Amino acid sequence: MELGIFYTLAAVVLFAAVMVITVRNPVHAVLFLVLAFLGSAGLWLLLEAEFLAIALVLVYVGAVMVLFLFVVMMLDINLVPLREGFARYLPAGAAVALALASVMGFLLGPRYFGLAQFPAPRRMPADYSNTTALGRLLYTYYLYPFEVAAVILLVAIIAAIALTQRARRRIKTERPERQIHVRRQDRVRLVSMPAEKPAGEGGA
Amino acid sequence: MFYMLSAASPEIVVLVTACLVLLVDSSLRDRGHAAAYWLAQAGLLLALIGCALLLPRVAGLRWFFGMVVIDPLAVVLKSFVLVLVIVALIYGREYLRPRRWLSGEYFALTLMVALGALVLISAGSLLMVYLGLELMSLSLYALVALHRDAPATSEAAMKYFVLGALASGMLLYGMSLVYGVTGTLDLQTLARTLTAAQTGQPVWVLALVLIIAGVAFKLGTVPFHMWVPDVYQGAATPVTLLVSTAPKIAAYAMAMRLLAMGLSAGAAQWSPILIVLAVASMALGNLVAIAQSDIKRMLAYSTIAHMGFLLLGVLAASPAGYAGAMFYSIVYALMSLGAFGVVILLAGAGPETDRLDEFTGLGRRSPWFALVALILFFSLAGVPPFAGFWAKWFVIKELIHSGHVVVAALAVFFSVIGAYYYLRIIRLMYFDVGEAARPLAADGDLSLALSVNGLAILAIGVMPGVLMSTCLRAIGH
Amino acid sequence: MIPLSHYLVLAALLFCLSVAGMFINRKNLIVLLMCIELMLLAVNLNFVAFAHYHHDLAGQIFVFFILAVAAAESAIGLAILVVLFRNRRSINVDDIGALKG
Repeated sequence: MELGIFYTLAAVVLFAAVMVITVRNPVHAVLFLVLAFLGSAGLWLLLEAEFLAIALVLVYVGAVMVLFLFVVMMLDINLVPLREGFARYLPAGAAVALALASVMGFLLGPRYFGLAQFPAPRRMPADYSNTTALGRLLYTYYLYPFEVAAVILLVAIIAAIALTQRARRRIKTERPERQIHVRRQDRVRLVSMPAEKPAGEGGA
Repeated sequence: MFYMLSAASPEIVVLVTACLVLLVDSSLRDRGHAAAYWLAQAGLLLALIGCALLLPRVAGLRWFFGMVVIDPLAVVLKSFVLVLVIVALIYGREYLRPRRWLSGEYFALTLMVALGALVLISAGSLLMVYLGLELMSLSLYALVALHRDAPATSEAAMKYFVLGALASGMLLYGMSLVYGVTGTLDLQTLARTLTAAQTGQPVWVLALVLIIAGVAFKLGTVPFHMWVPDVYQGAATPVTLLVSTAPKIAAYAMAMRLLAMGLSAGAAQWSPILIVLAVASMALGNLVAIAQSDIKRMLAYSTIAHMGFLLLGVLAASPAGYAGAMFYSIVYALMSLGAFGVVILLAGAGPETDRLDEFTGLGRRSPWFALVALILFFSLAGVPPFAGFWAKWFVIKELIHSGHVVVAALAVFFSVIGAYYYLRIIRLMYFDVGEAARPLAADGDLSLALSVNGLAILAIGVMPGVLMSTCLRAIGH
Repeated sequence: MIPLSHYLVLAALLFCLSVAGMFINRKNLIVLLMCIELMLLAVNLNFVAFAHYHHDLAGQIFVFFILAVAAAESAIGLAILVVLFRNRRSINVDDIGALKG
């Protein structure tokens, strides 16, 4: 039963990850990334990390991925040139990934990290609260890193505003009071000048 | 409680200052920049006093449940980082003010870089290494992109960001494997409990490679050097100056905390990896630097070579080697600070070309600053008796002592090649006559800071024993 | 019972896919940023799995911090991307040729 859930979720996550790196449209890639995160949240529930699973959905899917979608849609990207070289790099990329995966699969596989080395831990009792346990640690042992993480978020705010805010003077707004007070002689100037004839007839 | 907070006093002061700087700058508008500048300097000075007075009293202890380590190493490195940032702000203001680029964000983000470096230097756990690194790096990415009107600047920032994020992803993967093998994040526990059975696991090598990749990126050594030339050239000169000073000391501290302290039991495995990186960096940096005609790009490749040399001290894996690398990181940061100070001085208020030709005839235009530049470039080249020579000397001595004779010979060989492009600048200054005789206009602050900077290099060169014994004491030898 | 190696191999595959994604999408910056998110997901899965089998909450705490920092990181990354796009009207890496490699 558990193994079945694992394989289903793992298949979903892997499928989504493959789609993220191969689909044509960045919007679809973001949506597949959301699917990968949702699948992972399910896996984390299997691993009894309930708080993190919910945080992944709320923080990542809810905020970060929406930010990605926002930027993708705002930037009106021309898709065609972005795909250039995709077919050229695909075989080499696949080869690198396969080689890397086979090495890592061996190193991290059942030979060194199987049930014999790491027996499955006993389940937490039903009244155990993952959130309480994490919160207790976070505000005692991990207080200092918690504050540093807060500073990092502050840096992100400063940086994002400083980088993307446009200069104030470029904003064009209507000024109704000036529109009302405008006079004819401010806008239109009558100039008297002699009538002109085109020099040559070729242009006519 | 107060006692505990005093262990983090420099960090707290810098953070409060950064917040005040933002408030002051946004509320005072145009007059705010001067106020923000002096406030930032006062905050950094206060943090430096805290470092010098409070920290030695709590040194040797671990705070916040082992998250913060205050040892002599942390006290010395933190003091130098604060000094470097203070001088970097002096130089930076002289460059930014005539170009009307001063902004509260520049000061606040610079303070955040300093804060990240301080956190990283006294990291007592893998988690703190990661957080300090990210605090420093994210602020640096933003600083590089801050002067957003030039396309080259935002491209450099993007390249820096993508490679940096990739490197921290790899670092994290390595950390997760270390955690998986040992079951702890605490660096001291790691150092105490790491067993031969654990370091004998095949996955251990993968973890080490990934962690070293993260360290290599921050130092800017091969194979993660690609960002260095682009960022050095693309960023505004004060930002380049910042990138090349305080973060290098922090990166040295990161290598020490991770490799020399946490994973010291794996020295037999990480030492050979570092040899490859160090030799490749020295070769690439020194050879490519010769072909550069842009001073910032040339200094970028020279950084790659110098950081390779620094790694040589770490890979000796002995207290004297660590102290040599520490000496090297401090001296390098001071030299780089001065070299970019000279670049800022030459640029003046006019358009910046960054070409090596700018140095032509400096010996006649301004004999004093030509002399300061002479000291700096001789020191960077490793000519005795300047500070840079002693930095190389201590590292090579320890390399030979620990039996890496071939590596030491290679290091000497590449240093001799590297000396060429520094000496070329000196030839331009004294022996070439150029038509561009723009007089140098230097503000009082800049002249004073640059003079002190050059004299400091000279003083360390004359009396290397003072700084070296400080380094040895800091390592605990 | 699910052995630990199942989770680790899944995370390793995700890691490899993200590396391959960076390799084949090297021209498309927005997909590069997504590949970085994918890599962090692999790291997080590793940490959560190890935390479970070590019966130790430190790994979960680490993931908590990675989530917070990664959110900040992508905010800054996307901000730089927006600045770049305003400057060049393109996020194609090839158009970015002003800096020599």
